[in-house]
Amino acid sequence: MEYFTFKANGRYWGVEARFVHRVLENVPPARVPFVPACYLGLIYYRGELFDVVDAANLLSGGTGSLTGKDARIVLLKWSRHKLALIPDEIIGLVWSGDIKGDGTVYSHKNHTVRIITPAAMWNSLFGLSYGRSSEV
Amino acid sequence: MVDLQKYKKIFVAESEKYLKELDNFLIRVEQTPDDTELWKEIHGKIHSIKGMAKALSMNNIARLSHAMENWCKLFQDDTDKVEPGAVQLFFDGGKLLKLLVGEDDEISGLENRKWYNSLISGFSQEPPDRRNSRERIQAVPDTGTVEKIDCVRVKYSLIEELLGYAQETLFLEKTLPPLSRESTALKSWIDHYTSMLKGLYFRLAQLRLMSVGDFADLFAVTIRNLAREHDKQVEFRVVGGDLQADIALLDRLREPFIHLIRNSIAHGIETPEERRRAGKTPTGLIRLEAGKERESLCIRISDDGRGISRKAIAGHLKNNRSMSDEQIAALSDTEFFGTVFDTDFSSAAETSDIAGRGIGMNVVAQAIEYLSGSIAIASDPGRGTEFLIRLPVSLSVVYAITFKLGPYMLSIPTANVESIDQWDGMDSAEKKGLYDLGARLGVGKSRVFSHVMNVKYSEIENIIAPGHKRIKFAVDTIIGNKAVMVMPVGELLAKTRAFGGVGIMENGDITMLLDPGSWLFDM
Repeated sequence: MEYFTFKANGRYWGVEARFVHRVLENVPPARVPFVPACYLGLIYYRGELFDVVDAANLLSGGTGSLTGKDARIVLLKWSRHKLALIPDEIIGLVWSGDIKGDGTVYSHKNHTVRIITPAAMWNSLFGLSYGRSSEV
Repeated sequence: MVDLQKYKKIFVAESEKYLKELDNFLIRVEQTPDDTELWKEIHGKIHSIKGMAKALSMNNIARLSHAMENWCKLFQDDTDKVEPGAVQLFFDGGKLLKLLVGEDDEISGLENRKWYNSLISGFSQEPPDRRNSRERIQAVPDTGTVEKIDCVRVKYSLIEELLGYAQETLFLEKTLPPLSRESTALKSWIDHYTSMLKGLYFRLAQLRLMSVGDFADLFAVTIRNLAREHDKQVEFRVVGGDLQADIALLDRLREPFIHLIRNSIAHGIETPEERRRAGKTPTGLIRLEAGKERESLCIRISDDGRGISRKAIAGHLKNNRSMSDEQIAALSDTEFFGTVFDTDFSSAAETSDIAGRGIGMNVVAQAIEYLSGSIAIASDPGRGTEFLIRLPVSLSVVYAITFKLGPYMLSIPTANVESIDQWDGMDSAEKKGLYDLGARLGVGKSRVFSHVMNVKYSEIENIIAPGHKRIKFAVDTIIGNKAVMVMPVGELLAKTRAFGGVGIMENGDITMLLDPGSWLFDM
């Protein structure tokens, strides 16, 4: 299976490549109020709106945040959802047919890559609190 | 004052649609002149045109349609009177009606006046019986006019593709290398080019809109067939058909609507005999009404059938939810009838034939929920059932006052903005009384404001007779009164309950449309 791997909050993550719709460069998201810290804003791409999320913040449960090394936006699409993710760094595509033990983690070039589904990211995101103002 | 122009515009759009359909029915009736149902359909189209024309005092159209209508009535009773010349006369009548609709009821030129008079005179005569007719109806010779091609059919996927190309081209702007000082002329040319491209993109995006009327047309044949299948007579009426919505949204509503209509015909509307016994007209009515409430698209689908049996729902609540009579009685109508959308209601309905209206209703509710919308049901035994679907603002173009507050680009529909005042022109007491929107947004306090917006809005609870509230707040900068293409907020932002939609401006920037009636403005 092919995985799209990226770095966020000092860790390596992998998403099934079939969910990656497009990688965009230099598209600043429009800021939106009343959203959790990991929610960076909205982008409009080919007639669709994507929620843009700071991968480091989301995947660290709010403790980390984007380092800004790589400003590329990864557009993910799966079932009826879509999401734009800004990782700290895009590593690339890797192929693996051998996912270890718990089925979520494998090693790649001495890095441990944690496999995550877009749905799991969405659920984490959906579970956060919206509607409150955050200091800007 | 009644805005006649607005109604005339609607009339033209509706009539053109009916006349197009009329041509199709005439083609069919030419093959099967004995099909009284077809004559009924033709009658319906002409009658609708006549009704609208009369209301707008378009007397030439009304007179000609009335004359055509008389023959329709005769042919429904005695198809032996339909001889080929008669159908041709209808074709000519339709053609002249098209001309009159396009020319605001004016009969221009002598030729057209002659043509009009000959058709009126033709339809005023008794149609000859084809069983013993020696003389055939003399159809008016074709004047040789060729219809203007003013619209073409384009596949939705092609529009999406074009939008994609336009956006990719727009993205190229972001990769433009820095230009030297000497390149001022080139820079100016690029700016102009980009602005034209953004305008093109904005207009292309509007091609994604479809009128609710055209959407409703998709159901006309299904309704007719279903009614026949169930030995029922059903009239389908559309109100507010000129309202436009995103094709993608309407497409997702297709299945749920078919479901509601199917249920309505199969279980709601009674047979003509049952209806007569109940003191109703033999033909049942399914009504699709579209309208806008605030930033929501509201679609009401109702029928005048037997309604949903309260007894059946109560039985379900007792058996499947172990609810007591008292608990059931304490439920509001919305909660009570809302039971039909529950997942377990479907299976119960299938086994116990619970009024036949619950089958698959949970599927309908899920589809509406997927679109971040809501569905409510009201039913009156013996009088009918109504489904009210509210959907977040679909793709549409509205004018909005766009402003900046902190890092946010925000908008409020222009219709809600009563006035905009200069910040500098206000005294300190007035400034003190302003609502602090910035604080609500979490924007820091040390700001320099430019303007104060005075916004009026209605209370959600009372849509029929809204009471207007007013609120004033300061903003950093007013961007302007901008045309924005409004898209629904996604599932995540819907959780904020603060936005009426996401606006895409002509330059491609995103602005959040604040919902003036939301908690955001609760003081």
